[in-house]
Amino acid sequence: MIANHPLTVVALACAALASTILLVFLVRRPPLGGATKLWLLLGLGVFPIGVAMAGNVEGFEATKQRKFCGSCHVMVPHASDSNDPESSSLASRHARNEFFGRENCYVCHADYGMFGTVLTKLGGMRHVYEYVTHYRNVSLETAKETIHLYKPYPNANCMQCHTANLELWTKVPDHKSSLADVREGRVSCASAGCHGFAHPFTKPASSSSPRHSTETRPPGSFAATQRPAVSPRLPGQSP
Amino acid sequence: MRATAYARILRMACVLALIGIALMVWSLLDPSPMPVLVAMSVGQIFGTLSLVTFLGVVVADLRRAHLDRAPVPEETGSADR
Repeated sequence: MIANHPLTVVALACAALASTILLVFLVRRPPLGGATKLWLLLGLGVFPIGVAMAGNVEGFEATKQRKFCGSCHVMVPHASDSNDPESSSLASRHARNEFFGRENCYVCHADYGMFGTVLTKLGGMRHVYEYVTHYRNVSLETAKETIHLYKPYPNANCMQCHTANLELWTKVPDHKSSLADVREGRVSCASAGCHGFAHPFTKPASSSSPRHSTETRPPGSFAATQRPAVSPRLPGQSP
Repeated sequence: MRATAYARILRMACVLALIGIALMVWSLLDPSPMPVLVAMSVGQIFGTLSLVTFLGVVVADLRRAHLDRAPVPEETGSADR
């Protein structure tokens, strides 16, 4: 695992060098001359900064991994479904695309825009806070019933890849009829009546946004036939 | 006396830096939410504090050395008058 990440190797090497210098200083206690100051500059400044910089990059990259998201027990069903090659949920189908791959949680949930990455990281901090203060001791079954998005899933995130401007998209009758609603965010692409919920455990959005994730289409329409038929599957359960 | 105090402060800075480095290495070996969060907050605060402490000691030591080398100004005595 480590060999695949050159920055991790750099960070560990810097950490080893800094630790050696600091331990030698603590054990030998040399006088505070010019040479000692220079060594301490390396041990307290240069190498630890190297560890921090390489560690930050590796840390941010780690937070994009599905494995990272699934490390909180309440997210295990979502991560497992994404990782399931036989699942037909939106999340799983996107995860099988190389562009998303093991980072499919981040690619879909990261806010789009100039400050998207920063806002997403701040949102992640809130996730950690909620987990530590609330969900840590909540059972998986209860969590599956209660976990929800803070705000409706933005269609702009879908439109990062799926353009809503090409004729191929607009000629679909359902798209054409709901074009304004989709662009304004009044109808979610990932709603029951359109392309289906992203995860088997997704719940309809709150009543404050009535058309988000709750809109239904007549049977036989394009959207209805595209809806994935999935059932929740927990780790350890046979397909 | 002052050199002893500097050495003690520097030893504390070294211990602080070692703890910070250990937290950062923990997040590299186990990249899960808590280690990453702790490394990016507590670990880096410890590392920054240790560096600032070291720089403070170096500046204070250089200042002391400068003051020690500075010539004592000659007295222009009022006795001549």
